[in-house]
Amino acid sequence: MSSVSTAAPTPASTASPDPGERAATAGAAPAPADDALWYKDAVIYQVHVKAFFDSNNDGIGDFRGLTSKLDYIADLGVSAVWLLPFYPSPLKDDGYDVSDYRGVHPQYGTVGDFKQFVREARKRGLRVITELVVNHTSDQHPWFQAARRAPPGSKKRNWYVWSDTVQKYQGTRIIFTDTETSNWTWDPVAKAYYWHRFFSHQPDLNFDNPNVLKAVLRILRYWADMGVDGFRLDAIPYLCEREGTNNENLPETHAILKQIRAAMDAHYPDRMLLAEANQWPEDVRPYFGDGDECHMAFHFPLMPRMYMAIAQEDRHPVVEIMYQTPDIPETCQWAIFLRNHDELTLEMVTSRERDYMYRMYAADMQARINLGIRRRLAPLMENDPQRIRLMNSLLLSMPGSPILYYGDEIGMGDNIYLGDRNGVRTPMQWTPDRNAGFSRADPQRLYLPPVMDPVYGYEAVNVEAQARDPSSQLNWMKHMLAVRRQSRAFGRGKLTFLRPGNRKILAYIRELGDEAILCVANLSRSAQPVELDLKRFKGRVPVEMLGRTAFPPLGELPYMLTLPAHGFYWFRLATNAQPPEWHLELLLSEETPVLVLFDLWNSFFRDRVVPWRIGMAEKLRARLETELLPGYIGEQRWFSRKGEPVAAAPLEDWVVWERWLFALPRVNGEQYLVPLALAWEETEDERVKRLTALTLARVRQQANVGVLADAIGDETFCRALVRAICGRAEAATAHGRLRFVPTDYCAHFAQEDVEALEVSRLHMHSSNTSVNLTSATQGDRLFLKFYRRVRHGINPESEVGRFLTEVAKFPHCVPLAGCIEYVKEGEEHPATLVLMQAYVPNQGDGWNYTLNYLDRFLEDHRSASIANLEVPGEDVHGGFLTLMTTLATRTGQLHQAFARPTGDPAFDPEPLTEADVRAWKARVKAEAEETYALLASRNFSHIRLPAKATVLAAIDACPAPRGPALRTRHHGDYHLGQVLIANNDFVIIDFEGEPSRPLEDSRRKLSPLRDVAGMLRSFNYAKWSALVRAREADPQQEKLLAELDAWESRTRETFLSAYAAAAEGSGIFQDFDDARGLLALAELEKVLYELRYEANNRPDWIHIPSGGLAGLVAGQGR
Amino acid sequence: MPMDFDTVLLEPLRVFLRQVGDLLPRLVLAVVVLIVGWIVAKVVRFAIERGLRAVNFNVLTERAGMDGFLRNGGIESDTTGLVALVFYWLVILAALVIGFNSLGLTYITDVLRSVILFLPRVLVAIVILAVGSYFARFIDGAVAAYFRNAQVQDADLLGRIARTAVLAFVILIALDQVQVGGDLIRQTFLIVLAGVVFALALAFGIGGRDWAAELLERWWPRKR
Repeated sequence: MSSVSTAAPTPASTASPDPGERAATAGAAPAPADDALWYKDAVIYQVHVKAFFDSNNDGIGDFRGLTSKLDYIADLGVSAVWLLPFYPSPLKDDGYDVSDYRGVHPQYGTVGDFKQFVREARKRGLRVITELVVNHTSDQHPWFQAARRAPPGSKKRNWYVWSDTVQKYQGTRIIFTDTETSNWTWDPVAKAYYWHRFFSHQPDLNFDNPNVLKAVLRILRYWADMGVDGFRLDAIPYLCEREGTNNENLPETHAILKQIRAAMDAHYPDRMLLAEANQWPEDVRPYFGDGDECHMAFHFPLMPRMYMAIAQEDRHPVVEIMYQTPDIPETCQWAIFLRNHDELTLEMVTSRERDYMYRMYAADMQARINLGIRRRLAPLMENDPQRIRLMNSLLLSMPGSPILYYGDEIGMGDNIYLGDRNGVRTPMQWTPDRNAGFSRADPQRLYLPPVMDPVYGYEAVNVEAQARDPSSQLNWMKHMLAVRRQSRAFGRGKLTFLRPGNRKILAYIRELGDEAILCVANLSRSAQPVELDLKRFKGRVPVEMLGRTAFPPLGELPYMLTLPAHGFYWFRLATNAQPPEWHLELLLSEETPVLVLFDLWNSFFRDRVVPWRIGMAEKLRARLETELLPGYIGEQRWFSRKGEPVAAAPLEDWVVWERWLFALPRVNGEQYLVPLALAWEETEDERVKRLTALTLARVRQQANVGVLADAIGDETFCRALVRAICGRAEAATAHGRLRFVPTDYCAHFAQEDVEALEVSRLHMHSSNTSVNLTSATQGDRLFLKFYRRVRHGINPESEVGRFLTEVAKFPHCVPLAGCIEYVKEGEEHPATLVLMQAYVPNQGDGWNYTLNYLDRFLEDHRSASIANLEVPGEDVHGGFLTLMTTLATRTGQLHQAFARPTGDPAFDPEPLTEADVRAWKARVKAEAEETYALLASRNFSHIRLPAKATVLAAIDACPAPRGPALRTRHHGDYHLGQVLIANNDFVIIDFEGEPSRPLEDSRRKLSPLRDVAGMLRSFNYAKWSALVRAREADPQQEKLLAELDAWESRTRETFLSAYAAAAEGSGIFQDFDDARGLLALAELEKVLYELRYEANNRPDWIHIPSGGLAGLVAGQGR
Repeated sequence: MPMDFDTVLLEPLRVFLRQVGDLLPRLVLAVVVLIVGWIVAKVVRFAIERGLRAVNFNVLTERAGMDGFLRNGGIESDTTGLVALVFYWLVILAALVIGFNSLGLTYITDVLRSVILFLPRVLVAIVILAVGSYFARFIDGAVAAYFRNAQVQDADLLGRIARTAVLAFVILIALDQVQVGGDLIRQTFLIVLAGVVFALALAFGIGGRDWAAELLERWWPRKR
């Protein structure tokens, strides 16, 4: 029985995300848009205007088209858009041959269209990055036309680099080896050679001429004034030329850059310069200057090495290049990418590596161009979704701001037969319709044909299809980007590689302040294990970021993980997350204190040791009472005064029972039960290991080493308890007695059964601790529940358990098998210490079931809404509501059982009179006063609450039933966490009542509609918890609340009508409508209780009952 | 012979009465001493018992196995009670000695005095037994643990032998203390000890002949 305790009015012990956890992620929220360092956390979407969307059906994409698709880009979760050149140009080099720096190519629209685009992008929080191609112009540019006609040596001529001979600058390499044979080209008009590093139609500007720089700065200001946030500086290493050098990265070039930066900083503090310098990291480093040149620069060598690492199934290439990467100034950032509009350049690899890359990725000669491969990501990865995802996960987690090339988010293909690099510049594939939905022009008019092959063609790969498929690349990418946004450590964190023995695993940590993210990637095509040395983060809990699952905490030993083929994990190493509930610590921490015993338990009692040990015994006892017990109890969930310091825990009563010590210490005014066990390593290693998580101290007696631990985890102890209960044993304590009381159910166990029982699961709850006892042959058999706080009085759980099992024969509760009672001298009533119940096989409690259901529902709903699919209204929750009908029926039957007279005065129903209702109202009103006083004293001014007078009026307004009604015993703390699901049916557990009320209260007879009210409130809690979880996954969802509201009201309705039917004729009410007033009153009572509970225990959750109260009061007003 | 009557009959009576008159106060005194002694004895018994229990003497004798031994012998009280009882009787006897002494019954006094002198020996013997037998248990545990760690089989047996040996000595010392048996026991013990040593020597001698020969050969190799 994986029961939850009655910690909260609604299932607190099972409640989902740790509030602290949410706070942590909220704290790491993305930077505000005005942050001048925005580019450090940016994810940039690289797009070509002509390739994205055609609005005027001329076959070429344009700015209006791009603007109309901005919603798509924003929804993807990126933060900036980088536009390839869109200036007027003869388009001999895809726009990099600019013929007018201040215009927009007429094919793409007008400057007005561009301005509109920038406005719309800003509205969506997107930054805009454009190209500043200033190394060269087109030969059509007026500057060049003027220069070639101007006489040699004249001012105009001097804008370009001229020579009469091709012998100048001989040490300079040729970049486009496939098309150009020299960097000099003869101009027949000028009768001289002009200098060009790229195509011969792209003459290089002469930056030694100050007028050129002035002109460039004017262009920069022109666009910056229009709202452009960043400029990619194309071909920046080649600005200046000097004889005798290779004419790359010259100091003169850096001087020019510093001037450009200074000019920009003077007017535009939050803009960004991105250097395109296809160089080794140490040569790129100068482009950052001392933070006074470019803000960003491409990390070219990393890109091919990520491909190489996957091809070689070895982390070495990536680790090596990152070690070679120098540190950059605080305000600078790398730009990293997998693919772009050019070929996958292999300039930055050794020739051996290049051969390897060609063999692996471009066996087809057609795919090679210059020193690179002209393919897109998906074909490079052979369309293997796992590999594509792995590559993206590396990109998104490596230091730097990632750049996504348009189309790669849906895994678009390429067409290597299109010439030059046009194969990766084909139209964006929106739909499976004509022209991929990109344009309605005749197909032959398109600037390039869309990809049409059966694997990557637009009929197979397109946005429309992927948006509707929850597991598509597109939706996966959105999810990844949402996760990446949760932490700044991805953009800004320090990178540390781990060096696990398995070289197929790439593992690294990104750290920013206290935040640490562990990334683990399996580069191999087969599943791989890995052991990671994470000692440094001992005690932290890895939380997998995509699914928010907590993993077992890190410890001293290597952390073992297994990864599927090409799998990867991102873990947040959380300091504030709870380890998984089932996790058991198997290693003692170094700090565990050591006790030296000399005579087992006797060592703690001065009157039970030989004369010369008395002093030692007194010291040991003092350590137990002032150090070990306080330390242990103070940290337990069941300690009711959590947070209060525990100075001492004197043993008020105790008994050494068989091999165990029943310690009953008094802690801060309350008595607790702490059964203790000693286990010795030499003889009982297994036992020691099982007790590790519950250890108070290590102990040593002579050469024997062992542990002193909470006996609840000790199998032999639990078995001994079962035996003692079945055997009706008794034990005298120092100041009282322990009574072991069986019920008839005990007859089901033979002695040998007891011996075979094993402790299978341990649950620590807020008021109790419980263990499942399993037998290897028969499965789970028994359930032992240890009430930690000693409360004298009739325990409602055992009383009700007996009544329902033996008298009412109610089948949907857990049979009671026995209990252990503690009779203390001077106390009238015994206290129930331990309850033994039969185990009911189940699939967990209703709370977790409901939350999981809602998670799934919201996830489905989200993916459906992306595709704009209408969710069928009627039967969305059909299966769930059927289950709720069953729950309501069982609830009704439970109340029927309570409403039947049996002759037992503790249980017989009594008529509910006017006076009863009046007294009840008075009590609720007193509680309302108390609640408001408490909230006022705790400074909860930020929460929205209805005025107190309104609440009091609402209480008064609840009509008493006109017909006869009954007050009976009932559950008292009924919520989704108190029902277990088993075979599509429910078992009702935990008849303890609300834990913070006195025992007597839960035995009081009142209208059982209080249980119904509790369940209704629980639905409300489930709604809010699900919303919090869904928002964590994707904060942009806004329509969820409406969906959840609809769910809650349907669930309520269903539950109430089924309950009314099931409780019909019990006498609890004459007819259900007559009892609505009582139900409303009960709901108000419950929500007030919740307010007090949350204020005292979980202030982060108080918005749930406060919203609930407002809703109830408002609902009644209608 | 009136005077004769006087001297013959009345004089002895007078003397007797005078003697009685002399004795009576002494008798009263003796009775008072006895009563006071009895009360003191009760107080002493109570105080001794409380005192011994306060220093956990009862735990010591219980662990030593003496209480169990006494219980098996049908004695209701434990060793602590027994010690207190001895003190009780010591005070009672002292009171008796004083009482009888005041009556001038020196012969009885002598007898009682020798009993009184014997009782402290009993006390000391009890303490020796208690501490000694606890010690014997401790030796048992230590020896057994040592041999167990040395991977010797029969470690428990060796421990028990050590305990028995220590216990034997303790009993002898205790007997010596109360001067019971004296020479007879001492000689018997010597004979038994000699027998055991002889038996061991013989056993090792015969059993380890070859080993001894080897050892000798190694130390003093025979010249060929």
